Amino acid sequence: MSIVGKNASSAKFRRNRWLLTGLLSLYFIYTFMPLFYVITAATKSNQDLFSTFGLWFAEDFSLWENLATLFTIQDGIFLKWMANTAYYSSVSAVGAALFSTLAGYAFAKYRFFGKKLMFALVLGAVMIPQTALVIPMFLMLSSMGLTNTSLAVILPSLVFPPGVFLMWAYIDDAISNELIEAGRMDGAGEVHIFSSIAFRMLMPGFATVLILAFVASWNNYFLPLVMLNKPDMFPITVGLAQLYSTAISGTGGVLLFTVVMTGALVSIVPVIAAFLIMQRFWQGGLGAGGVKA
Amino acid sequence: MAAIELRNVRKAFGTVEVIGNVNLSIEDGAFVIFVGPSGSGKSTLLRLVAGLEDATAGQILIDGTDVTQLGPAERQLSMVFQSYALYPTKTVRQNMSFGLEVARLPKADIRTRVDAVADILKIGEYLDRKPRALSGGQRQRVAIGRAIVREPVAFLFDEPLSNLDAALRVEMRIEIAKLHQRLGATMIYVTHDQVEAMTLADRIVVLDRGSIQQVGTPMELYQRPANLFVAQFIGSPKMNVLAVRPDGSALVFADGRRADLGVSFPPRLAHVGFRPEEVQLLSIGQGHLQGKVEVVERLGSDTFAHVGLGELGIITARMPGNVLSISPGQPVGLGLSGNQLHQFSRDGSRLS
Ligand SMILES: Nc1ncnc2c1ncn2[C@@H]1O[C@H](COP(=O)(O)OP(=O)(O)OP(=O)(O)O)[C@@H](O)[C@H]1O
Ligand SMILES: [Mg+2]
Repeated sequence: MSIVGKNASSAKFRRNRWLLTGLLSLYFIYTFMPLFYVITAATKSNQDLFSTFGLWFAEDFSLWENLATLFTIQDGIFLKWMANTAYYSSVSAVGAALFSTLAGYAFAKYRFFGKKLMFALVLGAVMIPQTALVIPMFLMLSSMGLTNTSLAVILPSLVFPPGVFLMWAYIDDAISNELIEAGRMDGAGEVHIFSSIAFRMLMPGFATVLILAFVASWNNYFLPLVMLNKPDMFPITVGLAQLYSTAISGTGGVLLFTVVMTGALVSIVPVIAAFLIMQRFWQGGLGAGGVKA
Repeated sequence: MAAIELRNVRKAFGTVEVIGNVNLSIEDGAFVIFVGPSGSGKSTLLRLVAGLEDATAGQILIDGTDVTQLGPAERQLSMVFQSYALYPTKTVRQNMSFGLEVARLPKADIRTRVDAVADILKIGEYLDRKPRALSGGQRQRVAIGRAIVREPVAFLFDEPLSNLDAALRVEMRIEIAKLHQRLGATMIYVTHDQVEAMTLADRIVVLDRGSIQQVGTPMELYQRPANLFVAQFIGSPKMNVLAVRPDGSALVFADGRRADLGVSFPPRLAHVGFRPEEVQLLSIGQGHLQGKVEVVERLGSDTFAHVGLGELGIITARMPGNVLSISPGQPVGLGLSGNQLHQFSRDGSRLS
């Protein structure tokens, strides 16, 4: 249904707008509630966590104490986990974005043998959850002696099919064949054309894939869980899960519930920050394709 | 500078043959124009010369050297694209310098060359701007400038003016003509535009469905078209063509009308053609065919009368100046000149 040309004050327009706002509000509440729970829980003491209403703050504000515990527990292992996560995610994200861009460029701009089949495989891979591949990948990497190394987490994350698909669509649109041919006429090789003409035009797409891959890797739980078994190599996801299991198993760990909550809160801060930083690229960039007549 | 020769060149995309056995030689310093309807293979032929497409068969020679296997850069040609294809993230100066930087010329040389070309094309003021901040005409100049600085052996243009408005197109056309005189370089130019083809070319190559129909000077094509296709493609408004059967010195038209023109016609004659200026508008009852004026177009410099001939269709007559004595609905006679008629056989080829 089109609202173009309808008067903004017409009854129908207003009804539609309320409906839309209502639906989006429901969706917002649905997604925001767990996050809000994490925020309130992180500010409570362990006692209050179970004795006060979950979706509001308790009278005592214990966030600082919780943070202090979080960063000192087990000789400050949480900091180590954060550093691990940051390392795995940033290397994976840069690598995945780079490979996606290269692959997308090849799919969009070159004719080569087996292109259709390969592209179909990439599309198919978008639909396979990585979780399904983790066990075979574990067997592969373990026979290569790579389990329990950072490569075990990073290598599989470099393959990011949605990024390839996204870059293919973006490049197909943003870079005209004539532009590449102009580069060829100017005598530049394919690598030179890519690096000095095409790549700069692709920054918005590159940034998008970078952040998607970053978040995917930051939140990845199952892959590092399977690949790593030394606690000081864990990323936050696996580390917190381990703390949590200690918490529910009793043995003096009840105190850990709020620490796990605080850890969860801390772990999403960089993701939010990354989104805010990358937003600049999206606003400036998606219309920044070639110069058309 | 270079002479360019195509020998038995073919190009197929998959199983579809787009260019079929083209032979063409272009002299050093010539301005050659490819014309033809959309999809006739003009761009493909140009891109084959450029090295942007690989020929399926045949050879391409530049100055006698076989370049069929060489890439675009090694052929030392420059190309100006229809969309200009300027590098959007680079300034005008960087756009023009790029090819020279790739060729590793010293920085100072690049500067002087770019400045000199910018001077010729009057784009000196914009050197530090990005293409986005230029008008269509300015972008076109930059695209031409980028082609010139490399001092190529020949220039290739693919419909370079088709994105400009009419006035600018005329201006740039004249500029390109001057550029050709000044540089004396071989130029191959693809266009849809009749006027561009007639005014710029030393020689015109008419293409249809991937094969060359005729090669010649603009006047040769206009005055002696090799076949019906060329006859109707070159010239605007196009040549009038009527199906006929010869009967001694007379022509019998498709609807049975006869016209005695007093010259003898070959028996294989199947079509006659005459340009709008080769037919005379007379009073009713005179001349060889009778018809009725349907539309009059007045351009000031010329008056075009479109005359309906019943089943034979409509033919166009041109008269210089503004002819006030004709108006739509008026019955008229048409006078043809037997010696001037273009004669074609059943398969469309010229008879003479
Ligand atoms: N990459 C390609 N793959 C398949 N067919 C192609 C390709 N490029 C061109 N063709 C076909 O080749 C034929 C000639 O195309 P070409 O672009 O040379 O025509 P053109 O004369 O330049 O037309 P226009 O005046 O519309 O630019 C067309 O039928 C076109 O569909
Ligand atoms: Mg074309």
